[in-house]
Amino acid sequence: MNTKQQNDVETIDMATDIAVIGGGYVGLKAASQISENGYNVILAPHNDTDVNFSRLNVPSTEIDRLKALEKEVADNTNVEILPASTLVEATGVPGNFTLKFLSADTVVEKKAGAVVVASDTAVNPLNHIYGLNPAANVVSLSELENLLASEETKKEIQTGEKTVAFLVGFAHEGSPVLMKRILNSVSEIVGLDGCSAYVYVNNIKVADDGLERLYKQCRDNGAIYFKLEKAPTVKQENESLTVSFHDPVIRKDIELNPDIIVYEESLTADEANLCLAETLRIDLGPMGFLQKENVHRLPVSSNREGIFVVGSARDVQSLSKSFADVDNMVLRVKQLIGDGTKSIPAKAVVDREKCTICLTCYRCCPHGAISWDDKAIISSVACQGCGICASECPMDAIQLVDFTDDEMADRIKEAAAVTAANTPKIVAFCCQNSAYEAGLAAKAFNYELPAGLQLIKVPCAGKIDIHYILDALVEGADGVLVLACHHGNCKSESGNTYAQWRINDAYRKLAQVGIEKDRLEFATLASNMASGFARIVIDMEKRIGQKKD
Amino acid sequence: MIVAERKPFDEIKESIQDYKKVLVVGCGTCVAVCLTGGEKEVGVLSAELKLSQKAESAPAVFGEATVQRQCDFEFLDEIKDIVGEYDALLSMACGAGIQFLAERYPEIPVFPAVDTTFIGVNKDVGWYEERCRACGSCALAMTGGICPVTMCAKSLFNGPCGGTNQGSCEINKDQPCAWYMIHERLSKQGRLDNIMKICPPNDWRNQTPQTLIQPGYEERIESSK
Repeated sequence: MNTKQQNDVETIDMATDIAVIGGGYVGLKAASQISENGYNVILAPHNDTDVNFSRLNVPSTEIDRLKALEKEVADNTNVEILPASTLVEATGVPGNFTLKFLSADTVVEKKAGAVVVASDTAVNPLNHIYGLNPAANVVSLSELENLLASEETKKEIQTGEKTVAFLVGFAHEGSPVLMKRILNSVSEIVGLDGCSAYVYVNNIKVADDGLERLYKQCRDNGAIYFKLEKAPTVKQENESLTVSFHDPVIRKDIELNPDIIVYEESLTADEANLCLAETLRIDLGPMGFLQKENVHRLPVSSNREGIFVVGSARDVQSLSKSFADVDNMVLRVKQLIGDGTKSIPAKAVVDREKCTICLTCYRCCPHGAISWDDKAIISSVACQGCGICASECPMDAIQLVDFTDDEMADRIKEAAAVTAANTPKIVAFCCQNSAYEAGLAAKAFNYELPAGLQLIKVPCAGKIDIHYILDALVEGADGVLVLACHHGNCKSESGNTYAQWRINDAYRKLAQVGIEKDRLEFATLASNMASGFARIVIDMEKRIGQKKD
Repeated sequence: MIVAERKPFDEIKESIQDYKKVLVVGCGTCVAVCLTGGEKEVGVLSAELKLSQKAESAPAVFGEATVQRQCDFEFLDEIKDIVGEYDALLSMACGAGIQFLAERYPEIPVFPAVDTTFIGVNKDVGWYEERCRACGSCALAMTGGICPVTMCAKSLFNGPCGGTNQGSCEINKDQPCAWYMIHERLSKQGRLDNIMKICPPNDWRNQTPQTLIQPGYEERIESSK
């Protein structure tokens, strides 16, 4: 163990330039607000935008504000814009990222203290699901929004006293973000004298501020909703449109002939996310968004410190929620970068004599905190102190400052040595974020707990080395519990997974040495599960107590 | 790197059953990198051995030591003060390291705890693939950097054979045909004429133990004799 480095507080110079990837409304907002807070911005709009900035998916009511923002950012001397760029390489650590962009066929290298990913969502028309061909009277939601945004085309709709049919939620599940846009359009249509709106809808997604009200308001103003379980049959013959369906309320087959059909669109993650995730070494979440379903990532964190994901980069989000993300991101950037220097104690240190640079730590670190020169280097800023690396290192060359192997060995020895008359000795390795709290709560609430139970606190279940588990049994424990956070709830994303893998490995080893499998158990808990904790430990006591008799 | 895998536990246990004081010796280079015989594995193996002897009335004592490389006398010397306390050594190094440990401490029985499997590459943590058989006459220049000795089931120097099957080897559909891969690689590099050249047969001198002296060090070795 490298004791020299222990407890050393490192002072680190943090680059005060912040890179913003994505030139949509949210990206521009991010650039503007970061700059307002005194940092320089490198703004890298996507290479697939025709102009510098993307107006994709921006409601027509916002266009004027967006234009003003575009101008403000373009005129801001503290914002450097790399037009039509793609991130091709990212190395380094928070406070000192080196980013290479391919911008207008040249590779541009930039230093950045933090990276903000603000990719847009992709908009996908779903007309094919309804068997419709886009036409003047068969339009997507976005096209209708554009028609309504222009006074001229809006007037055309009004003077034609058009009946507009909306097809909603049969081609995909939909979301409140889309529902709001649909209802806004419905509201506009019914607001035009002589026009009417039919809304053929599956599930009405109103789980957002004011949506229930908007839905009712449209209904009160004359919009007719047909709440159907399956899509109506739609016929498009030249200019004539027919929508037929079975109305479940009046229990009759109905046929209507709208003048315009509006088909729905889906919002999906930007395809660029895949490359961004790989290049930035951040986790790709569900549906191609850049945030895993993990409560610890909310609102704007990725699995790597200093790389933030905002707006549509992390989920389908309304503009107001995306702007809230930007506010949160700015707070996080200020917290991380501050005035450009940061004093931070090391959480994990590498014994450079022992390190054999096998790259196991680099490959296992869920926070991308490890790089190397001729030996492994752990960034104090990026490291979250989970200890996955330390438990995977084949040379025991990595030590967590607060949980060294020597201290853990002493603690295991001590715990396994405690005896209570006629009861089994149980050593429970508990993640401090969940099971340890649950254990303390179980004690505080006076749950019945085994007399021979000893808790050993670990920073994350990922720190529970297979060696610790075997050691506890060697030192005399009758049973060992490994208690981790629930799946998807690990602060370090995969600490619980690593713990589970090691338990499975330990089972194989125990079988070989002739120790019963039920002396070792893996379970997941949340910090508020005091009774769950008590049940797990009591069950183990009963199980192995019987063997002892 | 040299890749090794842990021997079955029962085999290890049986090999050292007559000894009461055993030093488990790890190696901090290749076998550490392939997660088989570094300091961590030394600790894990000795914990397993201790557990398996728990029920015994007089369990054996297991010590632990890991040196930088067991294929260097200088590093093996580092344990000279402690080996005397043990009546057997259990080496977790590759076959070369195990033999060198036995050579350095000839009076103490040395047992292998790992099987040396191949010279390979690291695909991911815990995942290795063979790439080299140490045949002693490298043909990679002609074969576009793909070794026919290792990757071809017949170790053909002039392939493919009739068993090549749309990119796969006749022995197994999941086994790519080495000569197909060689053809594709050379074709991409515009060096396909290489495949028409006759690759001379291997020099199988390596069937007897070999010695290598780097040309620049011949005089040094000579003078020390």
